[in-house]
Amino acid sequence: MSEMPEQPLSEQPTAGQPTAGQLAAGYGRPLRFGVLLTPGGEAPEAVVERALLAEELGYDVVSLRDEPGGADPWTALSWIAARTARVRLLAGAAGNPAVAARAAAALDLLSDGRVELTPAAGPPSAQGEAIDVVRGIWATHERAPLRYDGEHHRVAGAERGPAPAHNIPIWVAGDTHPGVLRLAAAKADGWLLAPGGESTTQTPGTAAAPNDELTAAPRHAPAVAPRNAPAATPRNAPAVAPRNAPEVAPRDDLEVPRDAAAFRNELAAANALIDEAARAAGRDPREISRLAHLTGRFTAAPGGFLTGPPEQWVADLLPLVRHEALSTLILATDDPETLRRFATEVAPALRAALPTTRPGAPRSLFVRRQRREGIDYDAIPAALAASAVEPGDAAFARVRSTYLRGGSPGLVLRPGTPAEVGQAVRYARTQPVKLAVRSGGHGISGRSTNNGGIVIDVSRLNAIDVLDKDTRRIRVEPGARWSEVAAALAPHGWALTSGDHGGVGVGGLATSGGIGWFVREHGLTIDHLRAVDLVLADGSRVRADEREHAELFWGVRGAGANFGIVTAFEFEADEVGDIGFAQLVVDATDTAGFLQRWGAAMEAAPRDLTSSLIIGQARPGQPLIGQIMAVVDSGDAGTIIERLQPIAAAAPLLDHSIQILPYEAIMHVPHAVHDAQGEPVTRSGLADHLTPELSAAAGRLVASGRVYFFQVRSVGGAASDVPPDATAYAGRSANFSLVAFGPGRRALDELWDGMLGHFSGQYINFETDRRPERLLEAYPEPTLGRLRALKRRYDPDNVFRDNFNITPAEG
Amino acid sequence: MPDYGHDLLFGSFITPSNASPAQVVALAQESEAAGLDLATFQDHPYQPALLDTWTLLSYVAARTERIHLSGNVVNLPLRPPATLARAAASLDLLSGGRFELGLGAGGFWDAIEAMGGRRLTPGQAVDALSEAIDVIRGVWDAGNRSLFRLEGTYYQVDGAKRGPAPAHDVGIWLGAYKPRMLRLTGAKADGWLPSLPYLQSLDQIAESNAIIDEAAAEAGREPAAIRRLLNITGRFGGSGDRLLSGPPAQWAEQLAVLALEYGLSGYILMADESAVIRTFGEEVAPAVRELVAGERAQRAGTPEAGR
Repeated sequence: MSEMPEQPLSEQPTAGQPTAGQLAAGYGRPLRFGVLLTPGGEAPEAVVERALLAEELGYDVVSLRDEPGGADPWTALSWIAARTARVRLLAGAAGNPAVAARAAAALDLLSDGRVELTPAAGPPSAQGEAIDVVRGIWATHERAPLRYDGEHHRVAGAERGPAPAHNIPIWVAGDTHPGVLRLAAAKADGWLLAPGGESTTQTPGTAAAPNDELTAAPRHAPAVAPRNAPAATPRNAPAVAPRNAPEVAPRDDLEVPRDAAAFRNELAAANALIDEAARAAGRDPREISRLAHLTGRFTAAPGGFLTGPPEQWVADLLPLVRHEALSTLILATDDPETLRRFATEVAPALRAALPTTRPGAPRSLFVRRQRREGIDYDAIPAALAASAVEPGDAAFARVRSTYLRGGSPGLVLRPGTPAEVGQAVRYARTQPVKLAVRSGGHGISGRSTNNGGIVIDVSRLNAIDVLDKDTRRIRVEPGARWSEVAAALAPHGWALTSGDHGGVGVGGLATSGGIGWFVREHGLTIDHLRAVDLVLADGSRVRADEREHAELFWGVRGAGANFGIVTAFEFEADEVGDIGFAQLVVDATDTAGFLQRWGAAMEAAPRDLTSSLIIGQARPGQPLIGQIMAVVDSGDAGTIIERLQPIAAAAPLLDHSIQILPYEAIMHVPHAVHDAQGEPVTRSGLADHLTPELSAAAGRLVASGRVYFFQVRSVGGAASDVPPDATAYAGRSANFSLVAFGPGRRALDELWDGMLGHFSGQYINFETDRRPERLLEAYPEPTLGRLRALKRRYDPDNVFRDNFNITPAEG
Repeated sequence: MPDYGHDLLFGSFITPSNASPAQVVALAQESEAAGLDLATFQDHPYQPALLDTWTLLSYVAARTERIHLSGNVVNLPLRPPATLARAAASLDLLSGGRFELGLGAGGFWDAIEAMGGRRLTPGQAVDALSEAIDVIRGVWDAGNRSLFRLEGTYYQVDGAKRGPAPAHDVGIWLGAYKPRMLRLTGAKADGWLPSLPYLQSLDQIAESNAIIDEAAAEAGREPAAIRRLLNITGRFGGSGDRLLSGPPAQWAEQLAVLALEYGLSGYILMADESAVIRTFGEEVAPAVRELVAGERAQRAGTPEAGR
């Protein structure tokens, strides 16, 4: 932890350290400007207008006063959130802190992470308890319900969550009372100097008038916090200049700073106390932001503090932001002209006077405490740091696990550009921990999370563009989901066969195969691939297609996870109209017979039919149920029925549903947060035919009770037109892809290993067995030899090794 | 059988899941586009999978133009009435009179208590709700210049400044099933909002209406002052004569009967799919309105058939 120099701060540079001046300048934080607005009682739309104006003028923060008879600030702020795009929303957590924590999280989720919070005004002990409860509700990494037995607040086993979208900073609002400052130093992310003990939230018992007529402000209205006022300041202390210049006498118990120097001294003293208390709590003082409410008025002639022309405002404020660590200045006014003048004549001058490069503020102790061994968090490239998620971050709950696998990585990097993917790879390979790569997070073999390692999550790279209408050439980034691709292509009358679940991400599927709903008619997804942009293991970027890096392009189609991170795919889509989608429920008691008949029917079927079947476990007293899903690439009911009849005859039909739909409709799935726990246990294999022997073995497997989910997909057709050496996906002879999910590794392996003789290959995406034999099943020679040579060339240090690892060929 | 003669309202009941907030907002917008009158959200502040209902209502109101919004129903034990009243009035003002206050006494007391709320018996909860309605109406009475005082058993207001007043007469609709709640509905509320899955039979609607009507009369109110709404579930497609399981035309006939014979004038469909919301708004609602208007006109023309 870096030590802060004592006051006064020197501006002499220290070797290897940011200058003290830079540190004091907001303690490394960017300078921000905010507004404190007053929601009127009868016409709250006026405050919305002011908030929109503030955003337009470039203010960074909007906050609302809470006044009796006035509009409810939370409601108004939620409304403002919906009407703004950029500005931060400083909200007050009034009332029950557990409820307020959820409300803040909801607003943060709705507003894409724009919420900041102040606890309800009250004695520091009550505010401190409220902070504990709020943070406890957000702490979704704790599995046990929240229990809190405080003096002011009590929670008796509340469920935790939701986690907000980002780390909502908590500012303790109050005056310079030591109890307030100590609380901010110990528990909060910042201290908001709010005159008269006023927070943005909790209402004084009597009206504080809005200050929309600043020119009428009395001379002696306190511009800033009174010194040494108790935390529970007299409720009627005018926080801002009252309307209509009522004769508000300066209160005897307030020592109002008359000039900038007095205020600066007071702030310096408060900061020193916070810094000292922070160090005592094991924190870096720079973790605690310093914010302040300000009031003032623009006048032609210089007056007192913040009373005068803009130049005087700048002169008054500059020392505070340069030397006293103030990084957020919140102007309390409802006057549009004051808002405008401050934004155009004061704020830019203050920004210009500060150093443009800042060292950056340290992460909070509460975040650092949850860091994992082996990761140098301070070395995360700057471009990635803002979007990176570590275990102490609110967003961690949403990125730690995947669709089928629980995880607890030490760091999730979320690059937003191919260049950032390159930086992420270069950084990750310097860290002695595991590396996982994630697109949609549906991987089974592709682990895309880990314990204590790094995840490069490319979900922010999710664009879908049409490159050429005539050739149906599209460009898709790896973080897009197949549901989104289907929806984007539908208006053109196109579709791209992918998998059979729309929630799956593009990257993981389009680098290994892609057995989808048109596989028999149009082949695998990789068969539509024409070019890729790829970040290699050294962080460099290449384009690979049939001409450039042709061998790499070959390897990417089937074993792509071993060679880099694809940042863009170029595909050729197919013309697809409405389709027939059928779900048939059958009696699968005669499992072997069912499989064999369905298999034979599929092999004999025209290519416009693709189908899969699922068998679960029998329920007591019921027959074993099989479910067939099928797509017929035709919008004609007669054709659809004709195609379905042979597979419907494979077993006694119990129920059915047949619909004519656009392809996008069957791919549509709502966006979901992945929160799996544990590890999926699967085995899979490619088979040329569902022979009587394989069908019988599969029947025994299903009957064993050691498999809870058994699925067979039809392949073949156009997928088999492609020669086995044309891509790294070698299993071209297969007409079927089989997968079983079981509760236990050993039990499933025992059964499946006995079936190996029936398989002709392996599609890696459904296989979780990590024994080396699986590699040769997926990549039989000469494919494996070619891949090893390729690996030696493109990833000799084996950076990408988490998914069917191909070790580099020996020199 | 009663028909209280209200214009019909049709609405959606959208799960406020926090897994995909944008989708929840979109479903409310689709409800508006489908011509529905109301979008509503359940309120269980102890349930972490849900977005905070109040925040969501405010946000959605700002993203819609015409549709009315309500909690369905707002959890009183975790939303103190004075704050709630002020928030409701604020939202009604901001939205130009588009907020209605569906309100519930609370039911999941373990969860409420776990959140730091106060555990009440069902009987106490009814009394608390009754007091809360007085608090809410007292806060809304902004024209009254006296400071607001209320010395209740469950809620106390000690000289608070009143206001703001809402933009329109916000309806207080109660989720009520048992006699005491039904009597409270008749005595103090503007609407009755039960859910079809919680009703034993359609007879229960008729019996409940009778209790509400009687309580209204005792309080010197017209029974027609209380709108009768119903949260419904169902599916489009399938066949048979089961309630709300069939084509839209069949729904329309059934809902028209419920309006004309059971006095219902608001139907809120539990639906999280845009296609279902569209069908309800674009096909069912106009058809029910037409059937009910036709029958009402006929009854009006033949006085002896009137109620």
